[in-house]
Amino acid sequence: MKYTIHRYFYIATLFIAFSSCKKYLNEIPNNSLASTNAITDIGTARAAITGAYDAVQGYYAGNYPTIGTITADNVIFNGTLSQYLQLDQNAIPADNVTTVATYQGIYRAINLANSIIAALPDVKDARLTAAERDRIIGEAYFIRALGYFDLGRGWGGVQLQLQPTADLSVLKGIKRSTLAQTYDQVLADLTKAEPLLPDDASTRNRAQKSVVRALRARLHLYRQQWAEAESYATQVIANAKYALVTPYRSFFTSPFLTTESVFELTFSANDRNTFWNLWYPSSFGGQYTLKPSNPFVTKVTNPLIGGTRNALVAGTGNNVYGVLYNTTTTGVDPSYIIRIAELYLIRAEARAKQNNLAGALADLDVVRRRAGLANSTAVTQAQILLAIEEERSIEFAFEPHRWFDLVRTERAGDVLGITDRKRWLFPIPLSDVLSDPDVEQNPGY
Amino acid sequence: MYLHIQKLLLLLSLIVSTQVSAQKNISGKVLDESGNPLAGAVIKIAKLGRAQNIITSNDGSFSLITEYDSVNAIITYTGFDEFSTLLFQKTINTIQLQKTNKVLDDVIVTGYSVQNKRFIAGSITTVKASEIKDIPAPGINQLLQGKAAGVQVTANSGVAGGGVTFRIRGNNSINASVEPLYIIDGVFISSNNLISTGLGSQQQSNPLADINPSDIETIQILKDANATAIYGSLGANGVVLITTKRGRLNSKAKIQFNTYQAWSTPTNKYLLATGPETALLTNESRINTAIDNGLPASSAVLIPNPEQQPTFLRTDDLFRTARTSNYDISAQGGTDKSTYFLAFGYYDQESIVKPTNFNRYNLRFNYVNYLSKKLKLGNSINISRTFRNVSSNDNNPQGVINSALFPRSYLPVYNPDGTYARYGSFDNHLALIEHLNNKAESWRTIGNIYLEYSFLPELKLKSSWSVDNTSVYENNYSNTLIAAGLANNGSASSSESKSLILTNEQILTYIKSFGGSRKHNINALVGNTINTVLNQNTSASGTGFASNDLTAVSVASVRTGSSSRSVAKLISFFGKASYTYDNKYTFDASLRADASSRFGVNKRWGYFPSGGFTWRAGQESFIQKLNVFDELKFRVSVGLSGNQNGIGSYAALGLWNSGNNYLDQPGNAPTQLANPDLTWETTRQTDIGLEFSILNNRLTAIIDYYNKYTYDLLLNVPVPYRSGFASYLQNFGAVSNKGVELTLKFVNLERKAFSWTSDFNISYNKNKIEKLASDIALGASGRNISILRQGFPVNSFQLYKQLYVDPNTGNAVYEDVNGDGIITAADRQIVGDALPRITGGLTNNFQYKDFDLSVFVYFQEGNKIMNMNDFFLVHGNTQANIGFLPRQLKRWQQKGDITDIPRLTTFSGNPSANNSSANNYGGNVANLSSRYLEDGSFIRLRTITLGYNFPRNWISKWNISGVRAYIQATNLFTITKYNGLDPEVNSQSNNQNTTGYDWATVPQPKTIQVGINVNF
Repeated sequence: MKYTIHRYFYIATLFIAFSSCKKYLNEIPNNSLASTNAITDIGTARAAITGAYDAVQGYYAGNYPTIGTITADNVIFNGTLSQYLQLDQNAIPADNVTTVATYQGIYRAINLANSIIAALPDVKDARLTAAERDRIIGEAYFIRALGYFDLGRGWGGVQLQLQPTADLSVLKGIKRSTLAQTYDQVLADLTKAEPLLPDDASTRNRAQKSVVRALRARLHLYRQQWAEAESYATQVIANAKYALVTPYRSFFTSPFLTTESVFELTFSANDRNTFWNLWYPSSFGGQYTLKPSNPFVTKVTNPLIGGTRNALVAGTGNNVYGVLYNTTTTGVDPSYIIRIAELYLIRAEARAKQNNLAGALADLDVVRRRAGLANSTAVTQAQILLAIEEERSIEFAFEPHRWFDLVRTERAGDVLGITDRKRWLFPIPLSDVLSDPDVEQNPGY
Repeated sequence: MYLHIQKLLLLLSLIVSTQVSAQKNISGKVLDESGNPLAGAVIKIAKLGRAQNIITSNDGSFSLITEYDSVNAIITYTGFDEFSTLLFQKTINTIQLQKTNKVLDDVIVTGYSVQNKRFIAGSITTVKASEIKDIPAPGINQLLQGKAAGVQVTANSGVAGGGVTFRIRGNNSINASVEPLYIIDGVFISSNNLISTGLGSQQQSNPLADINPSDIETIQILKDANATAIYGSLGANGVVLITTKRGRLNSKAKIQFNTYQAWSTPTNKYLLATGPETALLTNESRINTAIDNGLPASSAVLIPNPEQQPTFLRTDDLFRTARTSNYDISAQGGTDKSTYFLAFGYYDQESIVKPTNFNRYNLRFNYVNYLSKKLKLGNSINISRTFRNVSSNDNNPQGVINSALFPRSYLPVYNPDGTYARYGSFDNHLALIEHLNNKAESWRTIGNIYLEYSFLPELKLKSSWSVDNTSVYENNYSNTLIAAGLANNGSASSSESKSLILTNEQILTYIKSFGGSRKHNINALVGNTINTVLNQNTSASGTGFASNDLTAVSVASVRTGSSSRSVAKLISFFGKASYTYDNKYTFDASLRADASSRFGVNKRWGYFPSGGFTWRAGQESFIQKLNVFDELKFRVSVGLSGNQNGIGSYAALGLWNSGNNYLDQPGNAPTQLANPDLTWETTRQTDIGLEFSILNNRLTAIIDYYNKYTYDLLLNVPVPYRSGFASYLQNFGAVSNKGVELTLKFVNLERKAFSWTSDFNISYNKNKIEKLASDIALGASGRNISILRQGFPVNSFQLYKQLYVDPNTGNAVYEDVNGDGIITAADRQIVGDALPRITGGLTNNFQYKDFDLSVFVYFQEGNKIMNMNDFFLVHGNTQANIGFLPRQLKRWQQKGDITDIPRLTTFSGNPSANNSSANNYGGNVANLSSRYLEDGSFIRLRTITLGYNFPRNWISKWNISGVRAYIQATNLFTITKYNGLDPEVNSQSNNQNTTGYDWATVPQPKTIQVGINVNF
């Protein structure tokens, strides 16, 4: 009897010891959620879409504008970091830090969008209204569309990842798509997003119906679908919410979110954009890695070409620097993604391509007049198209357009001297080529 | 000295023993200080040159038959002071031994126990305090450089209190920690840097600098599996056991005072191209570029009057003659029931590069009390405060050295209006020297209390509670005169970081000898530990200050805050047994079971066994008959140990992190994939050792061969970015380390007035990645110069291998590895690695009368250094804001020039052509040329010390028992082929996989020091 009591005692002790062991070893963090509980109610649903916007900020704050500008002729390398030298020289290895980070950042945003699209329909929370649920899903579709568009124009057709990564099995067997397939996916997502999203009179830093239409106009322009490009650009231009601001500089000086802006990403004192640091000289506390090129400075400061857009640069002599991103004390420069000026120039180009030269000139001149310039003197279709190209170059000098414009119009060889078309696409990141059996590197890398 | 006494006693015993005749019985008892019998004590009898050992029985008694009336005996017992006496016939010889805390030659502290060195199967190196004292460096890990075979030590820079790279038998891991486990008086201490201020890529601090080297008695380095497996999951990278000084029972107070004063200067200074040379090179490059672009040479825009450009020497402003001061005072002693050691230390060191410095205050109190005959209470506690003035270097262009080294030498330091001038990405070096204000103050408490209860003389239970608590309080202020504070009207940050390690352990030890003539000896223990590691940080930062005199975050116009916290727990059970038969054969086995909160729920537990065998062949009669060996011993061991450090506390969980905010709303985003199967990284190690002494113990040699294989690496396996993740922490991959170690101790000469001893050690290690998912490239701010690739060592460098500079074109020609006729990323190849093949040290000690001289040489061979200073300063003008090194002047200029520095140009067309000017400095190669990779082997006179002991009769009248004064020089000269300032450098040290860079780093100092040690 005594023996059995003892035995029970020992077993009980052991049991307590082991179960308390287990308990003792269970540690959970206080700043993260388990991925299985990541989107379950209204709070986490909102946090997820907020996180998705944050991911877009992640690649648009500095990296995307960098790879869209220093690769072309308006901006040159002036720092110490090799990744920028490689971009400037268009000798981009597959492990270039900036292109890798951009590619990675875009897919991070896409994975978040995928997670939201997959999880939100199942969120059971009475506080989540149908309208808000739709808005969040619509925003996720828009973010995914923007991501694939930004990948497509930089890297060509990419792997279309449409399921959230809960584990690595969802990756298997997805090969690269063609550029047309990637753009089709963008269109499909934009088409889904538009009816789900609201369109109010003031929001400029979240996706709205008009933002979807604006991106769609740009997509059609890239796909040379001129009529659709014109139609969608017109829908946005017609919206009274948007108007060009005068002088030019007022869209990039505080307060931001001007009527110029169709879509920009807002930063704040607690969520800073330090992109200015790459543009400003060290005598202003910056790194001065990105510098306006001499030919560009000559053009933008020419009253007949740059007009009031000379406000994009400051400094003199050998120390001219770009000031589009200029909130050095506060770091609240927005990321400019779509401005209404772009819609005018999209429509101008679409109209010119459709031989509506008068209409094209009218749109081009709207942008020129805002910059304090006389109307364009271009006459022929070719002249007008060239004038639009030049206008876009100056108007969006430090926004990610110039490189992608010259690639989509196949003018990178003539303008930049990069005749090897293989260099018109960025390389797929080296680590992906090494770790992903389903990916194929772009030719020439 | 000890040897002399022995000889004297031998002589004495001879005299005594000559008066003898018939067979007599001498008997007695060996007891401890409280009268308990000591079983298994060894009584060494010297009789006319023949040695005989007698071992006491269970009740401590012994007896021997001899023809003498008395014999001279030396009595030893593990953990007690050695005792020499005469044993007489007729009287009852009662010998009371005293417990010692001084570690004797033949007794060493091993994992959780004390063992007789002769029987140990593991590979353990002991370094005594006397071997490392008075070297002017604050961290004990740094002092071990060249002192122990199998241990590679590199100071990452010459920054006082800065990081140190310390590896025992090579790098075992890729993503988990490669740091050994440090244990001070039984306390598991943290060797993780806590300073959060970014200082470029250098490791911010050496946490072991918190401990005063003067407090240390001995250091044991446990290297093989037999020695480390008892630490299970913590032992894979080796274990450093540090024992601090303690008082002795029944000893009167001893007071010691030490001080030294030192003056340091750089071993070398930077030499840069002058203003006219810089302008000349710039113009030449611009002309060449114009020609390469098909334009007339006259179209190039040149610097006018290059030969009249001024020269501004910036780098000389960086250096100073830096002062180091050290003061220690300690008291130790004991009564019949207690012992104490109390010490206070102060250490203050300036770096040779302004404005950094380091100082430390230490207080230590070690105490033991025998509460009763069976119960003992002890503690050791160390409280230290360190202060660092830190500054950024390495890859931060706004670091102090960067801002002096890189700007072009013809550019003035000041603007015409007298303000600081800045160029490109760089700050003004004088502004930084005068205004940099980054302070880190650290308080650390390392404490241990234990209770030990003896149930029986052979059975003891020890329970110990330990804490290692570090708090670092950092306050940084960048005022408006330096670039970091310029843009935002001053910026400040303040942070408090805490690391807390709590450990509780219980150990039950059983030590017993039995059988006829004590032939069987058992030394066994079982125990458990519970370990908790907490890390937390709270920080605040602010920008926008009304004045440079206001530096508190609280008065900034914009303020933000942040915090972090993580907890990891570990539960362990372990056992160890060692059996020795007849002083000849020892069998060792241990097993440890560990469970860690870091791992997946499915695979939390890890089991780490080990086994070893020692054969003291020297005890066999057939060896003794050879009359060659004074000791001959073979060891073999095999075992497993684990690693879990260095990965996140929540590494196995699938997580969405919060704080991914937009529009000041809280946002979440996935950050980590779940891996419920995540488990231990395991190292299997085999060690074969040979130890022998010959020539009457004049030469002692220890030779070890080891083979380590680490598998199931905790590896961040790269995953396709389309997953939304960059990597997935998995148990994948393997690394091996194989090597040979040799330690030799010579007693070259031993005369009455003159003695000369030498200690030599040399180690060879070969590291190889045996299995890896795919290449992982990293390092040098995204230039990916370091690479991890299967089949190569960790810390390999991948570069374009420059074959030659074509004498006809002046263009660099690179090896076209894949033979496709063009130079692309596929032609980057591994051209060397940063791991030394061979490291070692040679110490010679001379003693002549009252003078002593010690000469210590350290050497390492086979490692490469990526000279990033050359990479940036030999750039062919592709770096518009960076000057040149004189090496750039050796560039190719005209047909027929033979050089390794290609023609100057910034042309970038056709970036994939070989022998094309695009790839000279830019293009696909982008200056990642093997011409900047250099041999980092060196041999260095690490220290040379001349000391003088004042004769007793001079000093005794002041009640002083000893005074030694000395003068010492450190790093007096170095032989190396390396062209940078100093070959002992590791700039990118905050990542273990980016070793071997030299990048705007504070070089090692050359130091002259004078000091005095006084004993009262």
